[in-house]
Amino acid sequence: MTPVFKLHKIIKRYGQREVLHIEEINIHGQKICAILGPNGSGKTTLMRIMGLLTRNDTGTVNILGEDIHWGKEQLLKLRRQMTMVTQTSFMFEGNVYDNVAYGLKIRRMPERGIRAAVEKSLELLGMSAFIAADARNLSGGERQKVAIARALAVEPRVLFLDEPTANIDPQSAVEIERHVRFINRELGTTIILVTHNLFQARRLADEVFFMWDGKMVERGSAKDIFEQPQDERTRSFLSGETVF
Amino acid sequence: MDIIIQGLKEGLMLVWSMDPKIIQITLVSLQVSLSALLIAACLGIPLGAALALKEVPGRRLFLNITYTFMGLPPVLAGLIVYLVLTTRGPLGQFQLLFTPTAMICAQILLAFPIICGLTARTVMAQRQEVYDTAVTLGASRRQAAWAIIRESRMGIIAALTTALGRLVAEVGAVMLVGGNIEGSTRVLTTSIVLETRMGEDSRAIGIGIILLVISFSIIVLINLLEKRSFKNDAGIQIT
Ligand SMILES: Nc1ncnc2c1ncn2[C@@H]1O[C@H](COP(=O)(O)OP(=O)(O)OP(=O)(O)O)[C@@H](O)[C@H]1O
Ligand SMILES: [Mg+2]
Repeated sequence: MTPVFKLHKIIKRYGQREVLHIEEINIHGQKICAILGPNGSGKTTLMRIMGLLTRNDTGTVNILGEDIHWGKEQLLKLRRQMTMVTQTSFMFEGNVYDNVAYGLKIRRMPERGIRAAVEKSLELLGMSAFIAADARNLSGGERQKVAIARALAVEPRVLFLDEPTANIDPQSAVEIERHVRFINRELGTTIILVTHNLFQARRLADEVFFMWDGKMVERGSAKDIFEQPQDERTRSFLSGETVF
Repeated sequence: MDIIIQGLKEGLMLVWSMDPKIIQITLVSLQVSLSALLIAACLGIPLGAALALKEVPGRRLFLNITYTFMGLPPVLAGLIVYLVLTTRGPLGQFQLLFTPTAMICAQILLAFPIICGLTARTVMAQRQEVYDTAVTLGASRRQAAWAIIRESRMGIIAALTTALGRLVAEVGAVMLVGGNIEGSTRVLTTSIVLETRMGEDSRAIGIGIILLVISFSIIVLINLLEKRSFKNDAGIQIT
């Protein structure tokens, strides 16, 4: 089976600074992959390149078997199959319904189908009561839940989650984890997850990538990385110490 | 002090009496300024949005020039249009000087930089987050651009009302290229100048009141538009 993502010798610079330098990443379909690493290590940047939001400076990206040449049609075709819940959970002006419906509206789904899909998504996240609420007035956690519902509504093949439970209370977080696992198992959605919650990574992930200073210093099954980290930086990160 | 109170009284009477001359002047004012606003908006909103969204060469420079022209003195805008439309000017053959058309041209020159510049700014302030969110939900570039503009609509409405306020209130440009001709190019601001000069203080005050009422109506209009798109207008909470 061809991998969903194949990244080769990827470099991304901002000004003079190299913020990402990846030799090789292959991610196979229908997996849950967690990206771990300290702040500023390049997790979001890596995710944005895979999600076709940020263009890499050198190297090749291959998604779902297609070499990315950043042409308009190719981008749109692939973007229609991937969705990202960004770190900020930006809400469009309007109510919760408008927000969750957005992805379906631009796909020109008939109105009746949209309503049903929106209600279903909100229900999954326990946010049905907020359907008519002004999206800009939601609490941080509520906003994150709506952002997840909005992403799930379009039933993507690939779902990127950038710290999806950062502002979520423990019980809701467990619920969200359950749904993430559910859509992965039942719908076969590939999930790329950035998280600072090590337990969450361990509970959810089939595979873990560990980032440090723009580089991927270790990768492996969740079990291996958590039980026998090979790289010294991974080891100290997991144990909460710092390396100098 | 008496002069002012007396003037205010007579001015109010004048407004109340619906003097046909004054109504005609008010209509010319509104017609000129609203036409100029409409044309400037049709040009300025798309261009401002495009400049904010697209990396084209010379974009920074163009925006900086636009920002500079936002404060263009009206009389200078008038002068530019005057030089173009005067008999010896490049468009002199059309004999547009001292017509409402000339006034509209000068006011477009005043409104365009405000609308274009403020649209560009407000679109720029939002673009990355809105773009990312739209695109990750499957939007095409065009759909994402539309989402950004939609999210910027409050800022664009503010730009339009700022421009309209300036147009209705300015005197330099319309005086220079309109010539303050009774029944044709006389507008509210130029009549105030004229009436004051002729010692008709109370008429000047009456027209001034109409001008204020128009400005106030513009404010009310923005508030209504704001409320329609911002259901929650409670504002930020400061304690
Ligand atoms: N648009 C940008 N311009 C300049 N520098 C940037 C930009 N985006 C990211 N960076 C830099 O790139 C580095 C990696 O950023 P990134 O957002 O990928 O980190 P991260 O691993 O997601 O961190 P966090 O855990 O805090 O979310 C950071 O040092 C950041 O300052
Ligand atoms: Mg990040």
